[in-house]
Amino acid sequence: MILDAHGHVGTWPDFLIPDPTAEGLVATMDRIGVTAMGISHLLAVGPDAERGNRLAREIAERHPGRFGVWQVHNPHHRTPLTRDGVWGVKLHPDVHHCRLDDPRYDPVWEFGLPVLAHGQTESPWSDPEQFATVAARHPDVPILMGHTGLWPYGFARAARLVADHPNVYLEVCGSKSTGRWIARLAELAGPERVVFGSDACFLDLRIGYGRLALAPLTPAARALIQGANLARLLNLTS
Amino acid sequence: MPKLIVDAHRLVGPVPFDDLPVDPTPDLDRLGITRALVTHTLSLYSDAEAGNDALFALGDPRLVPVPVVVPGVPGACAPATPDAVRAWGARMVRLCPERHRFDLTGPAALRWLTALTDPPPGPDTGSDMGSAAGPAVGPVAGPVAGPVAGSAAGSAAGPGAWPAAGTGAGSGAGTAPVVAVDLDETSTGQLRTLAERLPGLRILVLNPGYRRLRALAELMAEAPGVWVEIGTVNTQGGVEWLAERFGAERLVFGTGAPVADDCGPRFLLDHLDLTPEETDLIAAGSLERLLGGRS
Repeated sequence: MILDAHGHVGTWPDFLIPDPTAEGLVATMDRIGVTAMGISHLLAVGPDAERGNRLAREIAERHPGRFGVWQVHNPHHRTPLTRDGVWGVKLHPDVHHCRLDDPRYDPVWEFGLPVLAHGQTESPWSDPEQFATVAARHPDVPILMGHTGLWPYGFARAARLVADHPNVYLEVCGSKSTGRWIARLAELAGPERVVFGSDACFLDLRIGYGRLALAPLTPAARALIQGANLARLLNLTS
Repeated sequence: MPKLIVDAHRLVGPVPFDDLPVDPTPDLDRLGITRALVTHTLSLYSDAEAGNDALFALGDPRLVPVPVVVPGVPGACAPATPDAVRAWGARMVRLCPERHRFDLTGPAALRWLTALTDPPPGPDTGSDMGSAAGPAVGPVAGPVAGPVAGSAAGSAAGPGAWPAAGTGAGSGAGTAPVVAVDLDETSTGQLRTLAERLPGLRILVLNPGYRRLRALAELMAEAPGVWVEIGTVNTQGGVEWLAERFGAERLVFGTGAPVADDCGPRFLLDHLDLTPEETDLIAAGSLERLLGGRS
């Protein structure tokens, strides 16, 4: 079972996404064998979290079993949270200009659902050190560090910073990541702490999954990373 | 699965910021990549000429040398003259205008590239190596032309074999080298200017990324002499989008490994939503045509 922890639907202003549709994602998922993908709508990451979250839920309903929803919480708009039909909460501190350890995110941590947050080394908003901070404050909340810090020079540091916080998982999508780095992270953190994500449709699902599929990993480690870890932490069944 | 896969963008040698394999061949084997066009890391992170020397000394038929050229005034360039570049017989050379701090569309670079594109007539111009090539010919010509060990390419006469630079064999002999430039080292605007000033120049854009797809498309539309490496065209459906507009024959498989990822782009090749013929072009055929081999 291949589960993609980090996906999106929709357009993004910075650049052209040739196929931003859910239908395009499903076709690609079928082509390469991805069972399900957790998505946040890029409209929700951007200016309208409530509407974007509604669109993401509608997409999940149109494609039963193929999409989980990461509902975006915008701390400025105090986006309402729900437990129905979602995988958890998506935070993007860099887009929202709100540090991950800012108290404005407290309602999210107190809600208790798994959190997928953008992580970016040396960002004032989402440096991996802030993941260690919030993980210590909220040890019962599963936290996925999106991109494991994004920049390869920070991957090892990111793994070290959260090594003593078992509720933090290293999610591996990003345009600068490599198959070699996924294998290294599995060694550094243990494969049970590493989770596959693609960032599709922002990025190409095939490149994201291919990075894991062809990474120099043992079959057991690959199985954990590509689905078993996420299924465990979200209590998903096949 | 493409019939033949050639990585048009790979590095050999150590990098200062990571512990990466210096020899690409084990990863090529693991990923089913027949051969790779390689630049030596010394040329990027130390000394261009030292890197080129190390590159020419490799002598591995699977690793096709892409030496680095630094155009400039005497004393600030590498190698000493455009003629020396031609004497290498390389089918592709790489320019690093940002790293080596020269103006890609400045007068010195334009003079050099003009000299490479339109060599002066003379007894040596019938072959791109000619008699002036001297001792540099061997190591360069061999890897380009030689049979690919353990690959589907078979002998030099088989599918995917490129004609020998320096031997005059095949349709590619005598052609000017392709110029490869990492888009992070320049801009689409500069490349468009370069293509306008030198319409005979063939340019391979390395590492185009995914955020500049609009500008990249404009460049490809305006400059038919521009080809694009796909390894970092990493937004959903980006490669198919380019192929639909400009044809698979303008797209080339490459990775930038080991600094950049080779696993994802290699996987993508097996799962493109294109015809097998288009995929074969991207995997190797377009590059072969670009370099002047058989089409």
